[in-house]
Amino acid sequence: MSSSTVEYQKKELPAKVKTVGMTLLLVGLVLVVLGYIVNPTRTAYNNIIGFTFLASIGVGSLFFVAIEYLAGAVWSTPFRRVGEFLSSLIIILPILFIPLLLNMNNVFHWTHPAPADKILVDKAPYLNVNFFIIRVVVFWLLWLVFYYFITKNSGKQDHTKDQLLTKKNIKISALFMPVFALTISFTAIDWLMSLAPHWFSTIFGVYYFSGTVLTALAAATIFIIPLSERGYLVKGIHTDSYYSLGALLFAFTNFWAYIAFSQFLLIWYANLPEETIWFLARWEGNWKFVSIGLLVVHFLIPYIGLLSQPSKMNPKRLLIIASVILFAHYYDLYWLTMPNFSKGEVAFGWIELGFPIMIAGLIILVFIYRTKKENLVPIGDPKLKRGIDFRL
Amino acid sequence: MSTVDYSRELSVLDTKPALRELDDLISKPLETKPNKKFYIALSITLSMLSLLVIGLGLTFYYGIGMWGNNNPVGWAFDIVNFVFWVGIGHAGTLISAILFLFRQKWRTGIARFAEGMTIFAVMTAGMFPLIHVGRPWLAGYLFPYPNQHSLWVNFTSPLLWDVFAVSTYLTVSLIFWYVGLIPDLATLREKTTNKIKKAVYSTFSLGWRFSNRHWQNYEMVYLILAGFATPLVLSVHTIVSFDFAVSIIPGWHTTIFPPYFVAGAVFSGFAMVQNVLIIVRKIFNYEHIITLDTLEKMNKIMLLTGSMVGYAYAMEFFIAWYSGMEAERFTFLNRALGPYAWAYWIMITCNVVSPQLFWFKKIRRTIPVMFVIAIFVNIGMWFERFVIIVTSLSRDFLPSSWAYYKPTYVDAMILIGSFGFFFTWILLFTKALPVVSMAEVKAVVDGAQPSHKEHM
Amino acid sequence: MSEKILYSFSAIFDSPDQVSHAAEKVVELGYTKFDVHSPYPLHGMDSAMKLPPSKLGYVALVFGLSGMIGTLLSLWWVSAIDYPIVIGGKPLFSFPAYIPIVFEITVLSASIATVLAMLFVFFKLPNNSHPLHGTEYMKKVSSDKYGISIQAEDPKFDEASVRKLFESLQAREIYSIYWDNEELTHKHKIFEPKFITFLFVVAIISSGTAYFTLNKLMYMIPFNWMMDQPKQSAQQKSLVFSDGFGMRQPVAGTVARGFMPYEFKGQPDVAGEKLVNPIPISKESLKLGQVKFDIYCSPCHGYHAEGDSRLRGQFPNPPSLHSEKVRSWSDGRIFAVLTEGQNIMPSYATQLSVDERWAVINYLRVLQRALNAKETDLQ
Repeated sequence: MSSSTVEYQKKELPAKVKTVGMTLLLVGLVLVVLGYIVNPTRTAYNNIIGFTFLASIGVGSLFFVAIEYLAGAVWSTPFRRVGEFLSSLIIILPILFIPLLLNMNNVFHWTHPAPADKILVDKAPYLNVNFFIIRVVVFWLLWLVFYYFITKNSGKQDHTKDQLLTKKNIKISALFMPVFALTISFTAIDWLMSLAPHWFSTIFGVYYFSGTVLTALAAATIFIIPLSERGYLVKGIHTDSYYSLGALLFAFTNFWAYIAFSQFLLIWYANLPEETIWFLARWEGNWKFVSIGLLVVHFLIPYIGLLSQPSKMNPKRLLIIASVILFAHYYDLYWLTMPNFSKGEVAFGWIELGFPIMIAGLIILVFIYRTKKENLVPIGDPKLKRGIDFRL
Repeated sequence: MSTVDYSRELSVLDTKPALRELDDLISKPLETKPNKKFYIALSITLSMLSLLVIGLGLTFYYGIGMWGNNNPVGWAFDIVNFVFWVGIGHAGTLISAILFLFRQKWRTGIARFAEGMTIFAVMTAGMFPLIHVGRPWLAGYLFPYPNQHSLWVNFTSPLLWDVFAVSTYLTVSLIFWYVGLIPDLATLREKTTNKIKKAVYSTFSLGWRFSNRHWQNYEMVYLILAGFATPLVLSVHTIVSFDFAVSIIPGWHTTIFPPYFVAGAVFSGFAMVQNVLIIVRKIFNYEHIITLDTLEKMNKIMLLTGSMVGYAYAMEFFIAWYSGMEAERFTFLNRALGPYAWAYWIMITCNVVSPQLFWFKKIRRTIPVMFVIAIFVNIGMWFERFVIIVTSLSRDFLPSSWAYYKPTYVDAMILIGSFGFFFTWILLFTKALPVVSMAEVKAVVDGAQPSHKEHM
Repeated sequence: MSEKILYSFSAIFDSPDQVSHAAEKVVELGYTKFDVHSPYPLHGMDSAMKLPPSKLGYVALVFGLSGMIGTLLSLWWVSAIDYPIVIGGKPLFSFPAYIPIVFEITVLSASIATVLAMLFVFFKLPNNSHPLHGTEYMKKVSSDKYGISIQAEDPKFDEASVRKLFESLQAREIYSIYWDNEELTHKHKIFEPKFITFLFVVAIISSGTAYFTLNKLMYMIPFNWMMDQPKQSAQQKSLVFSDGFGMRQPVAGTVARGFMPYEFKGQPDVAGEKLVNPIPISKESLKLGQVKFDIYCSPCHGYHAEGDSRLRGQFPNPPSLHSEKVRSWSDGRIFAVLTEGQNIMPSYATQLSVDERWAVINYLRVLQRALNAKETDLQ
């Protein structure tokens, strides 16, 4: 370990991973297509959940890559390439956008406002189909541009070991931050908040951001830990490096709960009908249990699971909690979206399973595809050795 | 600073001083008598403090009518100052606790001082809720003590949450600060030859003896305190923001207030810390402990939090339009174009425009420029609270209730005096206690830690 | 008595690596009663000394949870049991509003408890009379050197071998640290006279201050200013009006808000002609009328206005309201009876508001029709 070179062996992932990925993708695709045939509105709502979930992982992962460069963190350097691979999901986002495009009228009521509805008519300069599409496309292109340059530089560094590439990426990451903040906020406003077009909340963008960051971290953890434990990453990583993953998962779980609570408390306290209606919809009938469940899955379980210091470094514990968190984010998006579809009754059936299964397959396949082209570890990064030697 | 080598860890300190040199350098102000410059500075702050005393005296004797508060602007300078000072306190805890959790070693040179500033800022802030009630001597009623009438305070009111939050914040900050001071007091105890000082240091160091069996528990407690202080500091300014956000007033009732206030607090706090540190490091020759790298990092944090504040401004403005609520839309247009537009544009220039200059490395590393920018930030953040509180109250729902607020000379005296109060404590602090943590700085000097040759 | 008892041999090392290595060696050789001293915590020293992990986390957890649960229970008791007031239309137990306070107290109790436990229980501080205090060794390790101290109490301790061990580990200096005999022989009593006096003085000062502040100072200028306010209180003599009365009659010709004066005093027949029932017969009006009739009219007139209350048979008999006379009275005429009273029936103007009187009259009409139903009513 005190050798001056880093030991990395590029290994191929086992073939059965690809098989699992393909199976999930196909099953999911069938369910989605069937769903669109049988109940296009309901499937369109699920489409929204799927899109925002995938965007969370893709754009969120790019965010983490950028943060690592900006903060000069070393513990994450051995893991950074995993984040870069996950950010490739940005490229396939249109797959989930196009079906929705064909069904927008069913889910977004602002696409056809009643002329007597003054509020919606007033919002039309922003909430209209053309501007919506322009925004989606522009945001996607912006994400693509930053994704392309950051990952290109990182990949190039594997061969050239040029420290200037790190410096460049730091600059690009800094520029990415404000772009990320605005695009992620308006993505949330457009896709999720406008489902209830009479309702509004200034913290909504931050709420989606908190879930995004948490999910990207959890997704990365789910890939990092098995890969590292099975020797696909670089040799010599200590559980101390996992500690930061656990600590960040813990911290952002708290952050999500804080943002969710802020939003709830202020609306509950002021008791204004135009605002409370949104939460009341999530308390009617069976939705009450879903709401309580959200607190348990998204806050209580990860909090208790990651409270102690040793638990934050334990690979098995991290894997379990990260999976819970990933599930919790999907649950959160479901809770944000579906009450607009079914009031009082919780709608859960095979249609709801189509997109998550498909997305799981997509993530695995994209990841495998990237591993074929690039190293799983940024072997040219100057901070890599420090990252491997990182101890608490 | 043309090329950085990312494969090597950056040194925290500029040089590699001997540990004893650090001890001597940091304890020098404690061992030397105050010089003329100190007395001049102290006389300035004491004069400002006397303005506070006079202002408070007038207020207690004649009542709140001495201030400019009117109907509907029932909260003005008093609450603006309260939020301003509480916000300034947050930087200290962030540097001490949050940067500790992120294992950022560069915090060691500034943590002690920043924590001290937190305590003094919270003390200054705590004055305002006390004095803005009509009978401050009855402030005990704010606390839920058992009584014969079964009368309780209103636990559902954010004003009461403030009482708990600010008291907890002051207490925990004091504890955190004191725990950090114990090893340094013990070092001073061993170093000093003065009998009285030795007795005082012995008492307050509790007899700390640098045993590693103690260090182990000490580090765990420090981690626990840091782990608690972090959500605590977020909660304090969140609860302060609840004072406004739980209402229904346009411009106040908006869900983004909690994170927006916290970001703003860190922003203004770092600006104040940076200003004071630049002066301190010059006067005490701490340039190699509080390095230019440290200052640059603080400026980056100001850029980050300033941008968050700018984001919140933009989001509030957008959602005000998006909501379609006439009162909400009016409020934001009124801020920019109404009778208080002058305050609004000062705020925007100072808070949104000036920190963006920190994108440029040259500006980040030039001390006079960053000093001026930080002063602008402080001014801007004071005006932000002014804009939020006064303009929203001055013109809310019913036009027949609108009125313009003007501060009185007593308001001004109390504001200036609060700075005097704060800076007096800081000056006394520099002469009574080590403003840099000796133990923590020594621990991050190059070569201070074992090199783990046979580790693992 | 004058023979000094050895506490430990303490060695000074120059570098962190040396002292780390030395610590590992000391543990290896089986010494248990020893300690390492450094001016700041050294990484990896805990594992070098093979120390078990710190238990303070549990203190924080226990006290934090107790604080949380205790506060929540107190807030519930105070708001839902002891003094329940509806504030802002929120439920008595408004959990979301309690979260900020519960959180603060959790942090406060955990922090205070952990620090106090660490200092007073784990470290047994304050202790300024430890053998190591005041030694050259302590001076060095508090500043820029590192040390190991092996206590004489250790079963493996032996002066020669320990000295040799330190020399082999390249210690710069070795000190012999002795107990302070006075400290060893001093017996600590709980009821030390100085301490008791101190407690006494503190008690006197605090109770005296509290008594003075609450019972005397609050009644002195300027703190008593709001207790004695120059305003007119009820029953108090007035300095403004010539007749000395503070409580005045309303100004002539004015009417209290919401009050319409009754113009037909002593003229029930005129009221019967002029007053018109403004309240149309509706379900709400009849419901209200029924409730009020049952409360105020039925004790004398009975539930169906037949005069069959328990007062029947007394003098004078409460009349049935189904007589031709009453049935032919206009609503306004009945209103006059309710407002001013009639014969032995008192005025009900103070018990029934104007609207309530009309509602009762509407209900009475229903009762009257019920007892005089015609076949055409069924169609």
